[in-house]
Amino acid sequence: MSGVKLEGVVKSYKDVTVVHGIDLEVKSKEFVVLVGPSGCGKSTTLRMLAGLEEISDGQVSIDDKVVNHIAPKDRDVAMVFQNYALYPHLSVAENIAFGLRIRKVPKPRIEELVKEVAHTLELTSLLERRPADLSGGQRQRVAMGRAIVRHPKVFLFDEPLSNLDAKLRTQMRAEIKQLHTKLGVTSVYVTHDQVEAMTLADRIVVMSDGRIEQIGTPMELFNNPINTFVATFIGSPPMNLISTTITSIDGLVYADISGNKCLLPQLENPCDLEVIIGIRPEYVDIVPVDNSSAVPIHVDLVETLGSEALLHCRIQESAFVVKVDTHGKVEHLKHLDTLYFRQDAITVFDKTTGRALSRSSVGCNA
Amino acid sequence: MYRLHTAIASAVIANCLLASPAAFASDDNLVSNKPLELDIHFHQKKFVYNNDWLVEKEAAKLTNLSLNNVASMATTNSEEAFNLMIASGNLPDIVGGEMLKENVNRYGPEGAFVPLNDLIAEHAPHIKALFDERPNVYNSIKAHDGNVYYIPYIPDGKYGRAYFIRYDWLNKLGLETPQNVDELYQVLTAFRNNDPNGNGKKDEVPFFTRHWEELIRLVTLWDGRSSGSDKYHDFYVEDGILAHGYVGDNYREGIKNLAKWYEEGLIDAEVFTRGSRSREYLLANDLGGMTHDWFASTSGYNDALADKMPDFLFKAFAPPASPSGKRVEEHRRSQVKNSGWAISYSNENVVETIKYFDFWFSEEGRRLANFGVEGVHYDMIDGKPIFKDTVLNSDTPVTSQMWAIGAQVQRGFQQDYANEEQWSNKFALDGIALYDQGDYLLEPFLGVSMNTEEKGVYDKHWITIRDYMLEMQQAWILGARDIDEDWDTYQDQLKRMGYPKVIKAMQSAYDRAYK
Amino acid sequence: MENEQSYQVINESPRSKKLTWLIHHFQREWRLYIMLAPTLIWFILFLYKPMYGLQIAFKDYSVFKGITDSPWIGLEHFYTLFENDQFIRAIKNTVIISGASLLFGFPVPIILALMFNEIINPKFKKTAQTIVYLPHFISAVIIAGIVITAFAPSTGVVNLLLNALGYDSVYFLTKPEWFRTIFVGTGIWQEAGFNSIVFLASIAGVNPSLYESAVVDGASRWQMMWKITLPCIMPTILIMLIIRIGNILEVGFEMIIMLYQPATYATSDVISTFIYRQGLQAAQYDLAAAAGLFNAVIAFVLVIAANTISKKVSRTSLW
Repeated sequence: MSGVKLEGVVKSYKDVTVVHGIDLEVKSKEFVVLVGPSGCGKSTTLRMLAGLEEISDGQVSIDDKVVNHIAPKDRDVAMVFQNYALYPHLSVAENIAFGLRIRKVPKPRIEELVKEVAHTLELTSLLERRPADLSGGQRQRVAMGRAIVRHPKVFLFDEPLSNLDAKLRTQMRAEIKQLHTKLGVTSVYVTHDQVEAMTLADRIVVMSDGRIEQIGTPMELFNNPINTFVATFIGSPPMNLISTTITSIDGLVYADISGNKCLLPQLENPCDLEVIIGIRPEYVDIVPVDNSSAVPIHVDLVETLGSEALLHCRIQESAFVVKVDTHGKVEHLKHLDTLYFRQDAITVFDKTTGRALSRSSVGCNA
Repeated sequence: MYRLHTAIASAVIANCLLASPAAFASDDNLVSNKPLELDIHFHQKKFVYNNDWLVEKEAAKLTNLSLNNVASMATTNSEEAFNLMIASGNLPDIVGGEMLKENVNRYGPEGAFVPLNDLIAEHAPHIKALFDERPNVYNSIKAHDGNVYYIPYIPDGKYGRAYFIRYDWLNKLGLETPQNVDELYQVLTAFRNNDPNGNGKKDEVPFFTRHWEELIRLVTLWDGRSSGSDKYHDFYVEDGILAHGYVGDNYREGIKNLAKWYEEGLIDAEVFTRGSRSREYLLANDLGGMTHDWFASTSGYNDALADKMPDFLFKAFAPPASPSGKRVEEHRRSQVKNSGWAISYSNENVVETIKYFDFWFSEEGRRLANFGVEGVHYDMIDGKPIFKDTVLNSDTPVTSQMWAIGAQVQRGFQQDYANEEQWSNKFALDGIALYDQGDYLLEPFLGVSMNTEEKGVYDKHWITIRDYMLEMQQAWILGARDIDEDWDTYQDQLKRMGYPKVIKAMQSAYDRAYK
Repeated sequence: MENEQSYQVINESPRSKKLTWLIHHFQREWRLYIMLAPTLIWFILFLYKPMYGLQIAFKDYSVFKGITDSPWIGLEHFYTLFENDQFIRAIKNTVIISGASLLFGFPVPIILALMFNEIINPKFKKTAQTIVYLPHFISAVIIAGIVITAFAPSTGVVNLLLNALGYDSVYFLTKPEWFRTIFVGTGIWQEAGFNSIVFLASIAGVNPSLYESAVVDGASRWQMMWKITLPCIMPTILIMLIIRIGNILEVGFEMIIMLYQPATYATSDVISTFIYRQGLQAAQYDLAAAAGLFNAVIAFVLVIAANTISKKVSRTSLW
């Protein structure tokens, strides 16, 4: 079984530390996505996995074997690069065969494998072309072909889709997902695009400033962000955050929003506290439901997306976005003056540390 | 350096104005009643004509004609400067300097320069007297159309190079000065074998030279010839017949022997590449035994190295006799140079200009051109110009001092050897006296001016032939080839390359000029 | 009459359209043209204007008469040249020396660049580079002096070394069989380092992820050099090669003048030195121009040929 395990992995260059001790276990056949803003250390982590960067401290193992001092080629990993790293002087077939030729695989076997991969990736008709004659998506597929053909234990993807246009990206995303399902190879995928992370990952690792913020399935992260960073990073549009204070009345906790009392989920230590409450644009209601509190708003703008619309409003002078179903009509949305926050749709964060004080339980029935 | 010269010059000028009993312009030197200024292109390697030269100013005062330089210092190649000037089509009144003869004799007949024959006869008595006295000089400067287009610089003094040997080494080894080529061979062998410098190493270089062509000139020790003029590899003339040294049987004999000498280590092993610093290096390091080089500069090492090597004595010796008994010094100072000056077609004061040219051949003009200004650079003692002590004892060589004031520059003038005598090294004068005792010099070849047809033949064949001669020559001396084996094919090859045609063309040009 | 009119209309309308376009074009883009101007002027003054003078190759040229007024004599100078065995020999020597410089000298800067690229310690790399660049900045006169001294028979380093190994001294610079080796070797020593700069720059332009990808694929450094670096800088190599081929008949003439001897003419006399002796020393500018023109025509043909071949074989070309 080819799992990957990182224990306390650190990367530092002279006096600058870019990865501050990462612990992560990727199970066999699992698709894990490292996501975070640029400079968060996700690529570095991936490159340490590949062996392209030395590991300053900690331990990386693949298949229960520590690989800290094992050369990249002996780790049996394959990597797909952001700019594809195709050899411009080689044809598609030669590019795919490159790794095999380096490893002195017999020629007939190489041909067989290349054919197989080309078939899988629908590259058969392009085998004799040079990279310069291919489209972006085709190049991407060749790059993947080069990784697949070696049947490695682990696939490593370093932002493979970021050079493609939006439409192609969506398409390739699906292809990668299908491929993973088909081949079932352990994969670690780095991206800064949370949509990619959400759609591809079995589990997502959100990173920031060289640290892991949260690890979880896409829905876990979406519903129960561990802090405001994850909350705003995952989801589009991001979770709305409102600074406020809470009061505890009769064992129930309320937040003060524009002078209205808003019922919050149960907290462990309810007391007079400065908090941030977060609510996903998707979970805001425009009609009263059970356990919901009314919040007055002013709608600035309605963005119509078709079946859905985005309401850009203001609460306590801060911007607030709501995603609502249109059911074919948008006129009435412009005149909304009240929104309803369900108690269980709200996540409460500590204002100073940003950590979540409650867990929303809405995920299951949303 | 330039600034220094200007400083000296201006000091001298001041001096002259204040103190000197300035020579008054005598009327017979005047070339024009009104002051006249003419433009001149005058380029001599590292300098051009200078309007501020003291000699120029003095001449202007005497003749009423002053010159204004238009030549550019942009290049140090006088030929290039000439070409640039003539290609512009804009010729100043006077064109002068180095490398003039071939150019004026080529472009003169095309109309660029004024023929001087009649002008000389009518207006230049001094020049005419000189030419009448030395018809060969006159004949040699004529263009192929029979006209004279320039007034040449006529050097004085007969001797240039001589055989020099380490007398102290001879003494040390108990040897006599070699009187013939066999004795010379023995002396050189002794130099090589008997450790005359006494350092225990066999590092002596018996014969060396700064110019490898001087090695070739040693063929005269076997009655061969290497050149008839002061240019290397030139033709020579004997009894009115032109020939080239490198085809003669005696040349073959000479080269054969030189090859033997080279193989035996009597000749500097690096003779072809050691180059211009070899004399200085080999003498200063007590390695060189004999050379063939200029009297003045070579004698100078006796003074220069006196402190370092007290016994050092490098003196001229008479040319050793060839097997047939002839003693020959092939090199001699040229009797006429290809530098000087000419009058261009654009000159509107032709008569004044030729009179001005003639002034420099008058007694007063010649003194000015040779010695500078009376009272400043020389005094008249017993009717002879004698350099002042300040000139003779200066740190700057006399020639450089003269150039700085515009004397001894290669305008058309006649040099006076008396000036050089005054500052020559004692050893040089002794050597010259020694050479004067014998009649060693050969008939000089003063050059010819070819017409278009002759020049066509010459241009087409000569350089190629010359290069082939040199190529074989070096190969023979270095032992890469054997001259006896090659000689017949060499002669055939020369014929095939057109040597007879070249000689015929040269001979016809020679006959036209000199007969 | 009607026909004529309509003809005019047809003819004029596109022309005036074009004119308006040109005016607009210049109004918009004049800055670019100003930037282009210095190069353009340089080309016209120093490369195209002198071409006018090439006609003296077909004339009996007199400096005084000028280019225009000198009489035409057709191909006579060319006949003179090709009847001359020494010129034929010079062509042969030029091709051999140039070919040898190309064969041995062209790969060296590439190898150097590849080697520099493999040096990891930056200080060592800089020092090594400086050392090999240095000879480029020394003037030909000094280089020639160094060569003459080094190969001198009595005290030259090379001969001292030979003596130490028990061999006799060789007077290298008078041996025709040694001249090419010494000349080509000197050229390589002098220029290889500097010429490696362009290849180093080209190597620096190779996408680093190509190497990373190869590392992951398991390529050794040696394999990366052969399979990635070299193919990736191949376009640069080919362009440089085409340029070199264009210059194949231009052998460093000052250097030869200073190193050759009549004894080595057999191998050392090249077209330019031949021209120098024949043409410039003997003031036969017209003949020199003829030889130069021949040189240029051959070079032109070679460049076209090399470019065409390169274009066909590798899709890299100068134009």
